[in-house]
Amino acid sequence: MMVLKIRDLYLYYQTLRGEVKAVDGVSLDIEPGEALGLVGESGCGKTSMSLGITRLLPKNVETYKGSIELEGVELMTLTNEQYRNDVNWQKISMVFQGAMNSLNPVLKVGPQVAEPLVIHREMKEEQAKVEVLEIFDKVGLPPETYDRYAHELSGGMKQRVVVAMALILNPPFVILDEPTSALDVSIQAQTMNLLKRLKKERDIAMIFITHDIALSSDISDKMAVMYGGHIVEMGSAEQVILSPKHPYTEKLLASTPRLRSYSQPDFIPGAPPDLVNPPTGCNFHPRCHMVMDICRERDPPTCYPEEGQRVECWLYGDKNE
Amino acid sequence: MGFSARDALSEFWTSRTSKMGVALIVILFGISAYVLVSYPLNFGTQYWNKPQHWADYPKGVPPSWTQTFSSVRKPEHMILTTDVSEKRTRGIMTIDFNINFDLRADIFPQFTSFSLSDLTFYDTPPIIHLTLTKPDGSKIEDLLVESVPYPPSGQEPPYVKYVESPLRVYMPGSPAVRNAIAGYLRTEFGSTLTPLEIRNMGLEQFLFGSPDEEGEFTNIVEGTYNLEVQVEIFHEDDTVGSVKFVVGGQVYGFMGTDTLGRDLAVGLLFGFPVALFIGFITSTLTTIVGSVLGITSGYMGGRVDELIQRVCDVLNTLPQLPILIFLVFILGQNIWNIIVVLVFFGWSGLTILIRSMVLQAKQEQFIEASIASGASSRWIMARHIFPQVAPFIFTQMIFFTPGAILAEAALSFLGLGDPTLPTWGQILERGFQTGAIFLGYWWWIIPPGLLIVVTSLCFVFIAQGLEPVVNPRLRRMR
Amino acid sequence: MRLGRSLLIKALSLLMVVVVTLLLMNVILGATGFSDRMLGALVNEQVRVYRQGLLGTIANPDEITRIVAEHEETLRRAYGLDQPWVMRLPQMIWRVMTFDLGEAKSSQTFTGSTLIKDLIAERLPKTVLLITTSVALSAFLGITIGTKIATKPGSRLDRFFSNYSAFSYAIPTWWTGLVFIMVFAVFLRVLPAGGMYSSPPPTESIARFLDLLLHAILPISTLVLALSGAWIYMTRTMVLNTAQQDFVNVARAKGLPENLVMRRYIVRVAAPPILTNVILGLAGSIGGAILTETVFGWPGMGLLYWNAIVTADEGLIIALTFIFTLIYVIARMILEVLYVILDPRVEY
Repeated sequence: MMVLKIRDLYLYYQTLRGEVKAVDGVSLDIEPGEALGLVGESGCGKTSMSLGITRLLPKNVETYKGSIELEGVELMTLTNEQYRNDVNWQKISMVFQGAMNSLNPVLKVGPQVAEPLVIHREMKEEQAKVEVLEIFDKVGLPPETYDRYAHELSGGMKQRVVVAMALILNPPFVILDEPTSALDVSIQAQTMNLLKRLKKERDIAMIFITHDIALSSDISDKMAVMYGGHIVEMGSAEQVILSPKHPYTEKLLASTPRLRSYSQPDFIPGAPPDLVNPPTGCNFHPRCHMVMDICRERDPPTCYPEEGQRVECWLYGDKNE
Repeated sequence: MGFSARDALSEFWTSRTSKMGVALIVILFGISAYVLVSYPLNFGTQYWNKPQHWADYPKGVPPSWTQTFSSVRKPEHMILTTDVSEKRTRGIMTIDFNINFDLRADIFPQFTSFSLSDLTFYDTPPIIHLTLTKPDGSKIEDLLVESVPYPPSGQEPPYVKYVESPLRVYMPGSPAVRNAIAGYLRTEFGSTLTPLEIRNMGLEQFLFGSPDEEGEFTNIVEGTYNLEVQVEIFHEDDTVGSVKFVVGGQVYGFMGTDTLGRDLAVGLLFGFPVALFIGFITSTLTTIVGSVLGITSGYMGGRVDELIQRVCDVLNTLPQLPILIFLVFILGQNIWNIIVVLVFFGWSGLTILIRSMVLQAKQEQFIEASIASGASSRWIMARHIFPQVAPFIFTQMIFFTPGAILAEAALSFLGLGDPTLPTWGQILERGFQTGAIFLGYWWWIIPPGLLIVVTSLCFVFIAQGLEPVVNPRLRRMR
Repeated sequence: MRLGRSLLIKALSLLMVVVVTLLLMNVILGATGFSDRMLGALVNEQVRVYRQGLLGTIANPDEITRIVAEHEETLRRAYGLDQPWVMRLPQMIWRVMTFDLGEAKSSQTFTGSTLIKDLIAERLPKTVLLITTSVALSAFLGITIGTKIATKPGSRLDRFFSNYSAFSYAIPTWWTGLVFIMVFAVFLRVLPAGGMYSSPPPTESIARFLDLLLHAILPISTLVLALSGAWIYMTRTMVLNTAQQDFVNVARAKGLPENLVMRRYIVRVAAPPILTNVILGLAGSIGGAILTETVFGWPGMGLLYWNAIVTADEGLIIALTFIFTLIYVIARMILEVLYVILDPRVEY
């Protein structure tokens, strides 16, 4: 059974400039224990995706519809209260962008990690502490960390605390939004290793959000490329990295510097689309190096060029529909 | 900086409060300009604080326009002067003046007074006789008989008197008048009231009233009154310039009067430029001192920074008002001391804020570049640091102004204000000290406070309007 | 232990401030010639009394003049008037620090003592009562209303209170006190016009308490009106800033109930900067108390201060300035301790 099945998810915000189509009809599947890497530039809607799945919606949400099935249960029909009590953190937890500020600065970190146990499992704090120390051990934190404050910990340690906190209730599914972007490279490597190990040990399904396609390939089983509120390409990590179908994916890969290559990294001309007034037809057409007339006029269809790989691009569809 | 002056202005102008603030400030400046042009600078010592100047004003009366809301008709204040005289010789030589006036009211006037100006005599000093004829024909003969005092020995005729300050008789305070009234009452009504009783009951009811069935003088005789002034002279060349008769009203003017008779409208007017002056000077000085020290402290660091910070710490640890009171008390109550003392307390807050802003700005790359290219500290502080903090400094300056005005008002209220300058706080202090509150003299208490509030508000509005300009996070998205 | 040490340092530095202030005050008194005049007047007064006393006993006028001159010399030496004021500094400072504050010119305690020390002891509790009640009430209003309107920024309630805060900055508190008296005591006659108790005060304790309450309503309302405006707005700002932080989102993602998020992740985190602002506003509260006591005739130290100004009683003014500084420093210290408890990030 799928852990997560999303169909036609829409999330629009109302702003002073107009309606922002942050998530514009997104569908995806995640198997148990599978890591989906969600890749894209800033402002393409990846964070909005995570907010949509966890229902941490800001106040100016205009449209929020679609289907989100978690372990067979349709989440969209749940009330906010049910979401908070049963889904948040117990079924889906999150590691936020900027772990630096994810911890309450005036409370000790240990009780913060224990908090979900106290609230959702109604444990006493002494009981919860035992479990917290256990998971601290699993992520490689010394037990004294329990009584520390956030400002007393290094960046890497804070990251581990945040990961421990996300896993404390042993959820089947975790969303990690740019978990390493604020860290220096060596800590980044440590954290990635930790995540990979935990994924294997606990069989956790995850969405790993990042703008760094190379980083994503390190941990992801599947990869989805997001652009302008759409998932323009999705497939296994090998498929996407080694045989990208969408022109945008190609360019993304080409712009990543290689260790053993002499060629200059490429760049993508133009700027990300305005989500209030997206371009007509395919969102990417103004910047596409393979653009055709039909791209400017009509939204591209979802095509399946290979088994398990899908792409939204006129290059692979039937042009006469 | 990315935000031009034009953008700043248009951002500022969008808010309704900004517009109100600017409108108010224009009005304030206009009134202040008018006051500075029409009143002497030493108005305080020359006129406001001299009780003689206000002698003929009614004491503690509400403004005239309160009449429109009241069913009780109060007499207006009447100052009746004439210089038209007739010289007559019918046995005795007299210079006669005639004053006619109308009285229609439900309440008796507050007082009466008589003045004579510009007297020249050559022989025996003249004697003044007053006769009041009421509309119903009742006449008080020789209501007042006043002899001009003899000139001191050694002086030669012609004797010129009452040019600078007139001969003035405050009728309720004159025993002669009381006696005359006692006599009048006895003759006309058979009353046995003594002059002392008349004094205690108040003259005006007898001058302007008529008795009812019980003999109480509660009804006002309405109509045209005539006052005959006969100055008995003893030399044909004696002259009199003018005479004045004041019927004290129960209402006066635009803002009423205080217990000294001072026209509150005039006092309040004078408060406008004073308030603006205090506000601006204090906030400008505070801002200058605060920002110079803040920029220096933040940029130079090291011992200078330490020292300035220590001083700020000490100043912040002091309770403001008690120390202000102490300093003004010891150093003396004049406006410059007050300003200096206010500045003394004001700059430390700004210095700390600016210092932290400068510390942040110091980290910027272009500062490093400037240093690397050999610019002096002063150059960098003036050319690079200052423009970054300038908008904030400007806003703070606007924001300080009402603080200064309020602080001065508080000091004045406690009695520590500059006695030579009538400020709104001083007017309130007088009101409080003389118990005007308990007498319900709202026209004395409410307007000065309101003016303080409105003046402060206009600066607050402007400062609020400037906030989005200075703090980009608050800007409205376009 | 780090906590204890940093607090000790803070306490010592605050004490230093008091001492420095005292020093500076005395320097100013000396340098402006004020203390010379003051002490001179004191000596003259005592000499006059002495001379009066002598007139009754000794007949010879020359003899009297000689003895009086001698006495004056002794007095001048005793007060240190024969030296420049700088020499008098240490003694003056010592006297004040040991609360040997001298006598008041024209004020007396209930029991008839004119010692400033006794006057202050008598008046202090009344001022403390006024200030702490008003500050507590204002803080309560500030936090409850401030957090409430911060949850819905831009709403009508929010705009109302934001305007209220702006307004209350521009209004002189003492003036609102005057207006209150006129409206409630003079025109409507529902509340007393001033003082702390009626005269004579009721003897039975409940009636006495109610009488106190009745007299306290207007002064406390005036002070609260002055303080709450700024505190409501400040709390609102702090809470809004804190509510945007990442850890608040994390708390919500954890599925915590909203009121727990509010308490533990927003208010608790915003508490230290709020407290800082309260500390900064404390000086204003003392000033406000002085003005309010004057307006309402509340028999505390503020009213004493005003009496001292009106009667130009220098000794009392100096003593009161010192005491007020001391009170302020102590209150600061208490709040600083509170701050350290609330914010573990603080280091010295």
